[in-house]
Amino acid sequence: MAEPVPAEAGVAADAVPVDFAEIVRRHQSMVFSIALHFLADPPAAEELAQDVFMQLHANLSSLKSPEHVKFWLRRVTSHRCIDHLRRSRLPQVSLEDVPESGVLEFSPALQPADPFLARRLQQLVASLPGKARMIVILRYQEDLSPEDIAEILAMPVATVKSHLQRSLGMLREKVVRTMGEKRSEK
Amino acid sequence: MTRFEDELKNALQLQEAPDGFADRVLARTAGQAPRPLRSTWRDSLWNVFAQPLLRWAAVAAVSVALVAGGIHYRNVQRERAQGEAAKEQLLLALRIAGSKLQLAKAKVDQINSDPTNFSQTENQQERE
Repeated sequence: MAEPVPAEAGVAADAVPVDFAEIVRRHQSMVFSIALHFLADPPAAEELAQDVFMQLHANLSSLKSPEHVKFWLRRVTSHRCIDHLRRSRLPQVSLEDVPESGVLEFSPALQPADPFLARRLQQLVASLPGKARMIVILRYQEDLSPEDIAEILAMPVATVKSHLQRSLGMLREKVVRTMGEKRSEK
Repeated sequence: MTRFEDELKNALQLQEAPDGFADRVLARTAGQAPRPLRSTWRDSLWNVFAQPLLRWAAVAAVSVALVAGGIHYRNVQRERAQGEAAKEQLLLALRIAGSKLQLAKAKVDQINSDPTNFSQTENQQERE
């Protein structure tokens, strides 16, 4: 079941202009990228992103402004990603159990500045539990504050901060260990 | 932001959507028209009064209604005040009449309770 879209009240003169194609073009990368970083599976990410835009198409009249559209897209994408993970019933891999070498293959399209470290970080992020993973993605891909993330995921700000702190600590520790081993191999 | 967070930001940088993504979304929505804008009663009302002539007519109607309402209210208030005054007058008259009756009754009682007065009055009547 897809995450239900929150009911919006007061639709009328201030409704966003119905240029659906323009909205898709403007936000497609944001939606796809959140899904890709979360799922680490390009075909699944595209399917999920398409579903998000289909849901937007059906609810376009309830959106009031371009900012509201962006907020709505982030919210629905986040909830759909977490829901997708829950439905897939894949065994949750603890961060501690993620292999040191690149067993988790990520999209070859990703070409960051430091490919090794970046790919390692992508793998580690993709192995975080659902909500923690989405919090990290929204914080570092979308550059959102903990308050904004809390609003999108409908959870207390303190919980978001706690997830962030814990995830960062675990990621850092894992990366340092990996890089240390890599250097010792050289 | 720490260096590690910079690395994380770099790793999670925005990824471009695949080529043709938007076209595929639009193709999926092609057979599904967007839900029309829900028009609320407020929109309908606003649209009706958007025309200048109707707007002025509405203003005039509201003004007439307000004046008529004001006159009616004043009439009702005046009638109520008159009614109150009449009621006060009636009560006063009743109070006066009541006190006169009390006085008369007291006199009658006094005459009845005094037998000399009664016999004197009887004798006087007989002499006449």
